[in-house]
Amino acid sequence: MTLRAAPAGRAGAWAALGLLSVLTAVLGLGVGSLGWEPPWVTLAADPAGMSLIGDLRAPRTLGAALVGALLGLSGAVAQGLFRNPLAEPYLLGSSAGAGLCMALLLTVGLPWSLDVGWWARLGLTGAAFVGSVAGVALTLSLARGAAHTLRLLLAGVVVGVVLGAGTQLMMVWSGEAWRVMQAFMLGNTALLGWPACLLMGGVLVVTLPLAWALARVLDALSLGEDTARTLGVPLGTARSALVAVLALSTAAAVAQAGLIAFVGLAAPHLARPWLGASHRSLVLASAWVGGLLLALADVLARWIIAPQELPVGVLTAVIGGVYLLVLLHRRRA
Amino acid sequence: MTTPPWITCLDLHATRGPRTVLQGVDLRLTGGAWWSVVGPNGAGKSTLLRCLAGLLPAAAGRIDWRLPAGHTGPTLAWLGQDTPGDEALSVAETVALGRLPHQGWWPWSGGSAQDRDAVEQALVDTDMTWAAGRPLGALSGGERQRVHLARALATQAPVLLLDEPVAHLDAPHQRLVARVLRREAARGRCIISVLHELPLALQADRLVVLGAGRLQAEGPVASPSVHRAVEQVFDQAVQVRCVDGRWAALPCFDADADTP
Amino acid sequence: MTSRIRGVSGWVAAVVLAAVCVLAPAQAAVMAPARSSALQIIDDRGAQVRLKHVPKRIISLLPSLTETVCDLGACDRLVGVDRWSSWPASVQGLPRLGGLDDPQIERIVSLRPDLVLVAPSTRVAPRLRSLGLSVAELDAQDLDQVRSVMSRLAILLGQPERGAARWQALQQGIDAVARQPRPAGMPAERVYFEVSSTPYAAGEASFIGELLRRLGAGNVVPAALGPFPKLNPEFIVRADPTVIILPAGEAAALAQRPGWSRIQALRQRRVCALSPAQVDVLARPGPRLVEGVRVLADCLRPLGSRP
Repeated sequence: MTLRAAPAGRAGAWAALGLLSVLTAVLGLGVGSLGWEPPWVTLAADPAGMSLIGDLRAPRTLGAALVGALLGLSGAVAQGLFRNPLAEPYLLGSSAGAGLCMALLLTVGLPWSLDVGWWARLGLTGAAFVGSVAGVALTLSLARGAAHTLRLLLAGVVVGVVLGAGTQLMMVWSGEAWRVMQAFMLGNTALLGWPACLLMGGVLVVTLPLAWALARVLDALSLGEDTARTLGVPLGTARSALVAVLALSTAAAVAQAGLIAFVGLAAPHLARPWLGASHRSLVLASAWVGGLLLALADVLARWIIAPQELPVGVLTAVIGGVYLLVLLHRRRA
Repeated sequence: MTTPPWITCLDLHATRGPRTVLQGVDLRLTGGAWWSVVGPNGAGKSTLLRCLAGLLPAAAGRIDWRLPAGHTGPTLAWLGQDTPGDEALSVAETVALGRLPHQGWWPWSGGSAQDRDAVEQALVDTDMTWAAGRPLGALSGGERQRVHLARALATQAPVLLLDEPVAHLDAPHQRLVARVLRREAARGRCIISVLHELPLALQADRLVVLGAGRLQAEGPVASPSVHRAVEQVFDQAVQVRCVDGRWAALPCFDADADTP
Repeated sequence: MTSRIRGVSGWVAAVVLAAVCVLAPAQAAVMAPARSSALQIIDDRGAQVRLKHVPKRIISLLPSLTETVCDLGACDRLVGVDRWSSWPASVQGLPRLGGLDDPQIERIVSLRPDLVLVAPSTRVAPRLRSLGLSVAELDAQDLDQVRSVMSRLAILLGQPERGAARWQALQQGIDAVARQPRPAGMPAERVYFEVSSTPYAAGEASFIGELLRRLGAGNVVPAALGPFPKLNPEFIVRADPTVIILPAGEAAALAQRPGWSRIQALRQRRVCALSPAQVDVLARPGPRLVEGVRVLADCLRPLGSRP
């Protein structure tokens, strides 16, 4: 009976995902400034190979995967919460808030001449995180709570536009801010290290299970808020929890890697046809697909014109975008 | 009516913004019957239904619920107008969402034998078994409507509230819905539907006639006073007549009926 | 018969008149003073910039061009500069006309300039030209282009010989710094110059790279990668530079970058953090490169020989 059997194709899809992940991991460890070389060869031949792989390539690949996972998770939550297939993680003003906070820091300035290394590093990254959360908080206060989804959406757009304008203004005033913000807005995975991985892993360990626990709430929300309420969904609490997941995940990703577009939007759409639309599986699948997408894009970014690099956001758009076009075409045909 | 009413509305008032939509509605709804709420546009039918569902708080008055003893689980199932749905979810998965009130909120709960049986039964009742594995996005508007009806049935609640359940359905499927609702009423449920389609509404057991936010009449479908209330509330644009043993609403669009 | 002769003579007269009208101005142009056709250059976009007379009112929208104009002795003719121009002190009182991408067109036009100098990467030049202004698009990425900009600007200012003279002075200034004795037997330094923290580096092919070469230092970024490539950080770790030069803002966090603590420059603390003023001097391919060379030379002075 169709009700009982999960499509056999799904198990195959998960297996394929696993296989692709292993492949991407091996590629990530093997692609360096000289192009591709099997990691075991590097380990054997190069005395600095252990450090290269362990200190640079491994955390960078894992970091990219974690950023992608956080963005994919946020994308799935945003699309379920707003019942909109075009929703993406930056909707609630998180990216605009991060950008403005960083620009403020750069314009007002920390005492750069002091050799206070970790404080300076924490400064920009911490500013992005704080700004991101503050952006969402501003949206929530503008919408007077998470009670009305449409109002939340509109408030998010307004906050994004206004804060974005503020950032642009600050970029015009300060040359330092201009340079750093340009890099921020393109997104960058080149400098992710183990501390960044730890931080993002910590956030993912909290937000992913929480979002998964709310999977049935997200399913019920797809029927509209009235029906969801009659089905017993505690709408206010549920929405607040989902917004919190969205804010935290996006803030962590943006703080470490800047604004990487498209992963949050594309990952749920890529996951749905193969791995199921019920949020029970979609939340996990979207995170996994997002991580895979960004890790693969990062590998390609450093491989194609090694030792130079392409902006990783361009590659996520190319890979994800081309695949979505193929899906669309197949659907119409 | 010897059975005690399941839902009692006492002097119910409801507002939408500054407008008072319902005033002074006193209603006693019992189980084991199909109640049809009729009235012209803006009479407050949907508002009444939403108040009963708990989606709209009453501005004044109250609503008392007294279901038969020994009832556990959800008290009502709701089918709203133009329910959205996740286009990528399959029909079976969408209908299974109706079982949520019986299950926990953990992602792995659900899928018990009772749930599966309820879903299968609901699909059979609405003639949607053929589409069980298809995604919702592949269905027509009318088919989606039936899926949502199946979802409401799958909840197996004693009270079923339906707002325009046949809006996109053709005549054969309207008949199917009428049969389903009749059968559920016969099984002892309290079915309350808001219907624009008077011919279908007249197949119910009892009519609730609303006009201008007030209760104009309430009684069995065959009652002549109810018929007169219906004709009056629709400004004599319809006439309720018995045709071939069935109640029908005949349109009465004569030119002299409404001389300017 | 007479009508035909009249017709023929009419034609002849017309031809002669036409010839006179065409040839006379040409003669005049040939005999005109050489100065009017000498105020003409081809700018970096390939456009011909021709001025009718020596410009008395100049607007510069690029800091390096502002500095070059002042170096060529025409500072008093500047009537407006961009937001970032800061040297010499006299330009700081001039009207600020916006940045590279958002110049205030109305104000520029209202200042009635004879010549507007912009970078080739802006979109403003066609707009200004369509408003009737003379616009020259000039910029430099290596030292040869710096020389070319200087000489072409000198031509436009009506003092072509001054361009060559200032270039010589610049060369001599650079040479004077480069000639300062290096301790014998020291291997050439391997320098990594970071322009921004993505990381973007300045390679051998850039003017910064050329200055470093004059100072006898090597660049970890070969010329094949272009003047300002965006690099994989692993490349820099592999290249193991002995000196790192970068803006002060990013210098503090250098050790945090994964794997960078192994780099020789960080282990021996030969990281040169440039203040914003020093960044300005090195980022502008103009006359102040002499100071830029001094900054670089200071960075390259090995430990122990610093005052």
